[in-house]
Amino acid sequence: MMLALTYDVGNIWLDSLLGLLAIIVLMTVGALALIWLERKVSARIQMRLGPMRVGPYGLLQTLADAVKLVGKEDMRPRSADRWVFELAPFVVFVPAFVAFVAIPFTRDWAVAFLDLGLFFIVAVTGLSFVGFLMAGWASDNKYALLGGLRAAAQLISYEIPMVLSLIAVTMIVGSLNLSDIVIYQGRVPLFVWQPLAFFIFIVAALAELERQPFDIPTAESEVVGGPFIEYSGIRWSIFYLASYTNLIVYSLLGALVFLGGWDWPLGREAGLWLQVLLTFGKTMFLILLFMWVRFAMPRLRIDQLMSYCWKVLIPLAFLQIFLNGLVLVYGWPDFTLLLTSGAGLLLAGYIVDRTVRADPRTLRMVPANPGAAEPAAADSAGS
Amino acid sequence: METVDINVNMGPQHPSTHGVFRMVLTIDGERVMDVEPHIGYMHRGAEKLSEEMDYRQAIGYQDRTDYLAQFMNEQAYCMAVEKLLDIEVPERAEYIRVILCELNRIASHFMFLGAFGIDLGHFGTSFTYGFREREHIQDIFEEVTGERLMYSYFRPGGLVWDVPDNFVQRVRDVLPKSRQGLQDLDMLLTGNEIVSVRSRGVGVMSAEDAVSWGLSGPLLRAAGVEWDLRRDKPYSIYDRFQYDIPVGTHGDVYDRYLVRVEEVRQSIRIVEQALDQLPDGPIMPEKMPRKLRGPEAEIYSAVEGARGEYGIYLVSKGGDKPYRLKMRSPSFCNLSALRDMTIGNYVADAVAILGSIDIVLGCVDR
Amino acid sequence: MLGILKSMYVTMNAMMRKPVTIHYPDHHRDVPQRDRAFPILLWDKEVDEPFCTGCHACERACPVECMTVVMKDNPLHADGKSERRKIVDQFWIDYGRCMRCNICVEVCNFEAIAMNNTWAGHELSKFDRNDLVLDLDQLLSQHKQGKIDAWVPE
Repeated sequence: MMLALTYDVGNIWLDSLLGLLAIIVLMTVGALALIWLERKVSARIQMRLGPMRVGPYGLLQTLADAVKLVGKEDMRPRSADRWVFELAPFVVFVPAFVAFVAIPFTRDWAVAFLDLGLFFIVAVTGLSFVGFLMAGWASDNKYALLGGLRAAAQLISYEIPMVLSLIAVTMIVGSLNLSDIVIYQGRVPLFVWQPLAFFIFIVAALAELERQPFDIPTAESEVVGGPFIEYSGIRWSIFYLASYTNLIVYSLLGALVFLGGWDWPLGREAGLWLQVLLTFGKTMFLILLFMWVRFAMPRLRIDQLMSYCWKVLIPLAFLQIFLNGLVLVYGWPDFTLLLTSGAGLLLAGYIVDRTVRADPRTLRMVPANPGAAEPAAADSAGS
Repeated sequence: METVDINVNMGPQHPSTHGVFRMVLTIDGERVMDVEPHIGYMHRGAEKLSEEMDYRQAIGYQDRTDYLAQFMNEQAYCMAVEKLLDIEVPERAEYIRVILCELNRIASHFMFLGAFGIDLGHFGTSFTYGFREREHIQDIFEEVTGERLMYSYFRPGGLVWDVPDNFVQRVRDVLPKSRQGLQDLDMLLTGNEIVSVRSRGVGVMSAEDAVSWGLSGPLLRAAGVEWDLRRDKPYSIYDRFQYDIPVGTHGDVYDRYLVRVEEVRQSIRIVEQALDQLPDGPIMPEKMPRKLRGPEAEIYSAVEGARGEYGIYLVSKGGDKPYRLKMRSPSFCNLSALRDMTIGNYVADAVAILGSIDIVLGCVDR
Repeated sequence: MLGILKSMYVTMNAMMRKPVTIHYPDHHRDVPQRDRAFPILLWDKEVDEPFCTGCHACERACPVECMTVVMKDNPLHADGKSERRKIVDQFWIDYGRCMRCNICVEVCNFEAIAMNNTWAGHELSKFDRNDLVLDLDQLLSQHKQGKIDAWVPE
């Protein structure tokens, strides 16, 4: 399956078919594994055991769930808008899937090396909000409508800081080709030069993935699953699959653009499997980070989410671009990038901290029965 | 452009309505314009059933009202019957009652802290942490009473049986765990900026309003009113312990959370003092009538439950059954202020406010 | 920002600790001696008959009226083997109604009824509600076979 990516039959149609097949299998297996991993991580964070029953350590649990979901009845509310309702999962799913095409896993291992790879991925993944909106609108359910509108607002808003943070990177590299971006990081990965952009990327990715603290569209305790509320069986599982595929896509993107992908620190001449391992390891690091954040954070409110995007992240992203421009125009050495961006990050942290952290609140403690016997002086009669 | 407010029916099968509570929200976009609460999905007629039972039998129904603070309900009911029959409760029984009640308050507040995290959007993490600590306490309850939820352990006059021999040591072992668990939850939630922005200034209730609505318990104290039945209408032996009553300054959701966190600490203090002072002796009065027959009287007895003033109003026309038994449930009275607190806030806040009231539907509907 | 880092620290700390849950159907936690599942009847092994005399005390005291008792003359008493003049003939407890309040155990003068304190008493799911109505043999069998170390207060 993996070899298919590099296998060169010579026929362009056959090649692309094999590539697509490999992507589909990779993505599905990856998503299934991630669902298991997320359940295990959440279980350990919450001091539970997690799935243990199906297979060793519950490894086959998601497979069993998938079989169950496929076997379930595909229900549709009578008042739903039929075609919009039934197409919505695919509109969410396809962009995540297509984005895979442009991702180079190793130096010479991708379905397609696009010169505009970064642009392509950002453009394509930005489409998925249409699916959420469709699902929310067509379900004819008020929770779904609320969730769909929230999803649209959130995904469109957070697309901007994400793109801006990636623009900051491409300014330095001078290319939108993901391979070029990775090769540029052979010596020092970009998260060192661009900590502020990296931070913005991580936050925006969390929002794009609709994970805590930004899981407002699907908020379980408010809109009970949001756009997915009326879906069941295979269509619901496609939504689920899409969300985990997106998790892989954004983590891969972060690993390639900011963490040096398959290049840093072993160099681009490392063996194929070492490169795969590097990409995989960095992606896993980001995925685990996303999962960890998910189970440690409560949820923001929709207005706070919006103001965080428009008042904090976007100005900061512009600041990053401005600083990069300054450094590039005057041709200052590379470490000034780190200095300016790091200073920007610290400034951002300070500002956010000052705005969010109100005075630590203390309660008024009214002692009751001050005349009662002191615990130490009390006669401890009996046991 | 013409816009329409939409009605959203939240509950009774909604995950964050803490049971079978239903509220019909009228929302304008994300803003709540009106709330109409509907209760009664869990009405089991506990008051009427208690009228059919004699004074000893009815104890089982008291647990089933506020099923997270069962000992307090039993305490209120037993106190009412004891007042009616003029029974003196032995010292040891009083101490054990206080210890169990305060442990129960800790368990109940842990449940709140966990559920509060969920209402604010935690993916179960705070809930499992709260449950973990509650479990330690419930293990003690199980060892003492044999039951995990519906203890029916207090009896008019005292207790049904004595605590096990290792009871004191067991409680002493658990208290540090509770402290540790509270610290975990404290670190997870209190300082977290997201919790802070979500709960500060939300659902504010002024002290005057709180008194007018008849709120009690943590809600009232969070609003800034110093009122704790344990201190102001002392019952049982609460006048023998030193503890602080936490009083909030802003009356918002965050204050209610903080008050409960602090109450856990104070309850731990009370339990420690009570364990030090626990005397030996009988757990039932020497001369207990086999059949409890009361005179004609009207009795009101109230305890500071985990959610507020849990009162029993008992009318007796003689005989072994109450003529009327009215439960003044704190959840019901506190819930009445929901509409006032929620209107004008966001949908997400409505969930947080409802969570901060900490209702138990068994107690609301009885 | 600090609070968020603290939350992350707490969750990571919890992740490093051992899980507190156990794998329930495979492992059971120990139930304490006083554990109260559902009431069962006790068997007098010396005389080889139930302790219960069928006196209706528990039936009268039961708040939910889940018990039905029928009394009969004790045949063993006529033979002189037993001191019980009357003995239980039929006994039904509807576990579907029982609210496990322990009042039946309290009122029993013969210590003939006790609460099941084993896991078998808790895991009682049945496909038919009628199967939850247990008759005398079923109520006695567990103690008769020595599967239960019943705890009767006092």
